[in-house]
Amino acid sequence: MLKSRGMEYGQPAPAPEYSEDGVDLSLIRWMLSLTPAERLEFLEERINDILAVRELNGRT
Amino acid sequence: MDERRLFPLVRALAEAGVDFVVLGGLAAVLDGAPIATLDVDVVHSREPANLDRLLGVLGRLDAFFRIQPERRIRPEASHLAGSGHLNLSTRHGPLDLLGTIGCGRGYEDLLAHTVEMDFGGGVRIRVLDLGTVIAVKEEVGGEKDLAVLAVLKRTLREKQDRAPGQ
Repeated sequence: MLKSRGMEYGQPAPAPEYSEDGVDLSLIRWMLSLTPAERLEFLEERINDILAVRELNGRT
Repeated sequence: MDERRLFPLVRALAEAGVDFVVLGGLAAVLDGAPIATLDVDVVHSREPANLDRLLGVLGRLDAFFRIQPERRIRPEASHLAGSGHLNLSTRHGPLDLLGTIGCGRGYEDLLAHTVEMDFGGGVRIRVLDLGTVIAVKEEVGGEKDLAVLAVLKRTLREKQDRAPGQ
């Protein structure tokens, strides 16, 4: 295994972690790692992007 | 319109010449479904040249696996060449790279079921159509996927009612 700038190389791909009902646990954990303000900021950016692309493509 | 670059994550893939299809919740939302989604799911072409381009842009995006984030394990070409799911974090948020979806459908299988959408600034990106998003979720059949199916199906029906034949 190699380490460079805090990154690990030469590892097998970690298996995705889903709950029994198919929920992506790593996504929940990533979301929980953000502050409430960061969550809102990220969600707002995503929504603004989605609305803009939908408008560009006539899918309002 | 906002001068900000829309969807910097998928734009970075497109601008690097990566062949991929956007699917999942984001594809459904772009097609009009009123659901919330945070991650970006894409199926990528597993042609060797495409994997090289994808690996290059993932490096520039500081991508690493979301599982065990403290280890910051980098995706590698051998990971991208497989048919499994790679759940990554990037500087622009979560990115899930899928070798295949549903009953083993890969990039080439999905192309005929995509629409090309304008993401601004001359960037056009292939997005899975809503009918196929639904079909794939039915193939997977998990509770999480089934939970949004009613919303997706109703959205598709509304779209079809508004524009018969589309």
